[in-house]
Amino acid sequence: MPSFHSFPIARRRFVQGLAVGAGVAGFAPALLAKSLSASAGELRGTEFDLEIAELPVNYTGKRRVATAVNGAVPAPVLRLREGDTVTLRVRNSLKEMSSIHWHGIILPAEMDGVPGISFAGIAPGETFTYRFEVCQTGTYWYHAHTLAEQTGLYGAIVIDPKVPTGSVPDRDYTIMLSDWSDEPPLQIFTNLKKLSSYYNFAQPTAGDFLKDVGSMGLGKALERRRMWNTSRMNPTDYSDISAATYTYLMNGTTPAGNWTAIAAPGEHVRLRFVGAGTATFFDVRIPGVALTIVSTDGQAVVPVTVEEFRIGPGETYDVEFTMPDGDARTIFAQSIDRTGFARGTIAPAPGMVAPVPALDARPWLDPVDMMGAMTAMGGEHAGHGMTEMPPKARHARTEYGANTDMRVDYPRANLDDPGAGLRGRSWRVLTLADLRTPTGDPDPREPEREIELHLNGNMERFIWALDGIKLNDSRPLHFKPNERLRITLVNDTMMAHPMHLHGMWSDVEAPDGTFQVRKHTVVVQPAQRVSFRVTADAMGRWAFHCHLLYHMAAGMFREVVVA
Amino acid sequence: MTGLARPQGAPFAFVIALLAVAVAPAHAQVAPHQHVPAAPPIAQQVQPEEPPRAEDHAGMDMSGVDVSGGSTKMDMGRMQGGKAPPDARDSNDYADGYRNSSLPGYEMADKLSIPKILVDELEFATGNEGQGFGWTVLVTRGQDNDKLWLRSQGLKNSGDRLDPESSVEALWWHSKNPFWGTLLGVRQDLGKGATTWLAAGVEGLAPYWFDVQLTGYVGDDGRVAARAKASYEVLFTNRLILTPQVETNVYSKRSTDRELGSGFSNVELSGRLRYEISRKFAPYVGFVWERALGGTADFRRADRELVTEHRVVVGLRVWW
Repeated sequence: MPSFHSFPIARRRFVQGLAVGAGVAGFAPALLAKSLSASAGELRGTEFDLEIAELPVNYTGKRRVATAVNGAVPAPVLRLREGDTVTLRVRNSLKEMSSIHWHGIILPAEMDGVPGISFAGIAPGETFTYRFEVCQTGTYWYHAHTLAEQTGLYGAIVIDPKVPTGSVPDRDYTIMLSDWSDEPPLQIFTNLKKLSSYYNFAQPTAGDFLKDVGSMGLGKALERRRMWNTSRMNPTDYSDISAATYTYLMNGTTPAGNWTAIAAPGEHVRLRFVGAGTATFFDVRIPGVALTIVSTDGQAVVPVTVEEFRIGPGETYDVEFTMPDGDARTIFAQSIDRTGFARGTIAPAPGMVAPVPALDARPWLDPVDMMGAMTAMGGEHAGHGMTEMPPKARHARTEYGANTDMRVDYPRANLDDPGAGLRGRSWRVLTLADLRTPTGDPDPREPEREIELHLNGNMERFIWALDGIKLNDSRPLHFKPNERLRITLVNDTMMAHPMHLHGMWSDVEAPDGTFQVRKHTVVVQPAQRVSFRVTADAMGRWAFHCHLLYHMAAGMFREVVVA
Repeated sequence: MTGLARPQGAPFAFVIALLAVAVAPAHAQVAPHQHVPAAPPIAQQVQPEEPPRAEDHAGMDMSGVDVSGGSTKMDMGRMQGGKAPPDARDSNDYADGYRNSSLPGYEMADKLSIPKILVDELEFATGNEGQGFGWTVLVTRGQDNDKLWLRSQGLKNSGDRLDPESSVEALWWHSKNPFWGTLLGVRQDLGKGATTWLAAGVEGLAPYWFDVQLTGYVGDDGRVAARAKASYEVLFTNRLILTPQVETNVYSKRSTDRELGSGFSNVELSGRLRYEISRKFAPYVGFVWERALGGTADFRRADRELVTEHRVVVGLRVWW
C-alpha cells in the first residue's frame, strides 16, 4: 500500500463517558459488582421472566432513558442448556411495541421475535411467551428487533452442552460491545436521511489536499482523489455513525468506567465477544496476549491464533488464552472508523489498569473497496490472493435506479482480507478465510440452485437496499422446504454489511465453492462476493437483513418464506 | 443545495476554475445515456486484455472512452447510472409469487416521509447598493425519491427594492437516478410585476461534488426563462466550510415592470464561509459579486443604479 495512505487524520476527542454509566437511580452498586464478574447478571434455568422497561441512565453526563431488561443494560446473560425446552415470558412495560429476537437460535418461526414477520410484536403492557427447544450450544445473543436495540435492549445467551465436552476454562466472561447515543435512534435515522455525512467529521479537507500536494505533487494528489471525486464517493465512509454521538460500551460500561474481568496468572480464560453495536464494527485486541479464536456465531472453528479480530454487529467470537502473568491487560475495541473505542481490563485483581493503546489513524478506503477484483487484477493493490478474474456479477434490473449509486461488475471473491483499516498490520489479524468448521459440511448436498443478491444503496440519500429494492418495495425470497441452495451476496457499496439470515444457518463457502464455516451473520466487505449455503429446514417466514440497524431500517432487508 | 457535498479538499482557486465549467458536465450528466466520460480511476491497474470490455455492456452508456490518454481503462460511468441490459436479473423471480407478511408491526422505516427545512442563507447584506437582507430556503418533505419542494430565494434592499429574482416555487421532486432529480411545478415571483411560471428542471450532484440546480420556466406573460445555480463546498476543516456559488438567469423577453432585459440578465458569484457549531447551526460571513447583463444592465443605467453590485453578507445557515 502506498505510504501516502497513512496520513494522520485529526480526530475528535470522543466522550469516554462517566465511570458509572447505567442505573443512576439506585442500581449503581449492583452494576459495580457486575463489572467484577459477568455471572452476577446471569439467569439460569428453563423458565425466565423478562421485563422490558425504561431505565434512567447517565453515560455521558446527561441523563437519558435506556431500554433495559430486568433493570439492566445490557440485559442479563441467559445461560441455557442444550436439550432443554425453555420458556421465556417477556413483558413489555414500555409505552410502545417492543420485541425480543433470539439471534442465531434455531427455533420455530413464530418464536423468532421479528415484528410483522414472526408475530405482531409485544404490545405495551402485554406479555409474550416464547417457548422453544434449545438444540445448539455456544455463544449467542438477544436483542430488540426495533430501534430499541440502540437504546440498550441486548444481552448475551450462553448455551452449555448437555454433556460437557472439552476443557472448561477457569474464567468465562461474555463481553458485549455496543454503542450508546444520547440522541434517540429515530433522530439519528432522520439526521442521516437528511445529511448522510452528519456524523462524519473526518472528511478530507483542503488542508489534507495541500499536504498531499506538498508530499506527492499536484498531479498525484489529484490522481489520488480522482476516483472518489468522479464517483461522488467518500473515501472515509467507514461507518455511518461515529463517536460524534456514540460512546462505545463494553458490557454496558464506558471506557472511563473500565469494565474489569478477573484472571490470575496461568488461568485459562474464555472471552465470549458479542458484536452488539447497532452501527459499529469493532477491531478487538488485547495487547501482549495472543488470542485463540475457538468459535464464531456459536459454532466451533478450527482454533486459530491471532492478535486482533474485527467483529461486526450480530457476530459472536469465543476467544481463549492463558493469562500470561500478573500484569493487567487492556481489552481494546476501537471502532472501525477510529473515532472511539470500548475498553476494559483483564487483571488478577480489581482496580488494576494497563496502558490504553492510541486510536489508529483513519486511512482512506482502498481502491479495492470500490473496484473489487478490477483493482486486484494487476495493480499495486493486488496481493490479496487474487490470481484470476472472478465471475462477473449479474446485476438486477432494479439496480439501475435511484437506490443504487454504484455497481461492482467484478467483485473480489477472496476471503483472506482483514478489511480496510486492518490491512498491512505488523501482527496477525483474523480474516474470514481463517474460520473453518472442523466437522465439515453439515449438509453435503450440492446446492440445487443459486440466489444472487446485491447489497447496494445510495450513500448520498442514505438509502439501503438489496438488488436496488427496499424492504417495502420487495417481494420475499422463496425457499423450498429442505432444499439446499446457495445465496451469493455481492456488495456494491463501500461499507461492510453483516448479513443475518434468521432461522437457518449460513454455511459460508470458500472461494472454490466448498464448504468452509457455519455462521449466522456473514460480513460482506466492500466490493466483495461471498457465497453461503442454506438448508431450508425451517418452515415459515423469516427475516434476512443487514445487521447495521439503520441499514435494516432504511430497507436493506428481505423477507424469506420457506414453504 | 440538497446534498451536502463532501469535497476532496481542492484549493479555492482550483474550485473557482472548475465552477466556471460546472454547468457543462451537469448538462451532460442529466442527458440520458450521455455521461461525461468520468476519469478512469485506476488507470494503470487494469490490463488491456482483461475480459470486461465495452461489448459486455450492451445498452450502457460508456464506450471505454479514455479521456486522459493511455491504455484501455475502466471508468466510473460503467459503475454508476446507466440502463439495465436486456438480460438483467429480475429480483422478484426469487419470490415465486409469494408476498411479504401482512402481520402488524412490520418494519416501515424505509417508507418514512421525512420533512426537512433548510434555511441555507438568511443574511444581512451591505454593499454599494445599500443594505438589505436576503434568503434562500428549501423545505422538502417526502420519501427517498419523491418529495415536495418549496424553494424560495430573494433579496430586499434598503431602497425597498426587491431583487427581480425573488420568488417562491412549489415543485415535485422525483428521482430515477442516484444523484439527480427532476423538478416540476410552479414559480411565483415576488414584488412588482410578478409573473407566475410553470417550472421544470433538474438538480443534483455532479462529479467532483458540484451541487447543481437548473430550472426552466414558462411564464403567464409568454416569457420563457431559466435559472442556473452551481455550488461547491470547500472543507477547510470539517466545521469551517466555504461555499462558492454561481448563479445566472436568462429571459426570452424583456419585462419593464421587473426591469429585466431579454437574454442573460445577471451573473452572481458568491462565497460564504460558515462555521458549523453543530451540523444544523452555522453562522457565516460572505461576499457577493453580481453583474447585470444586457438589457437588464441598461435598465440599471437608466435608473442611475450600478451595473455591478457587491455586498458583504453576514448570516445564519440552519436546518432541522
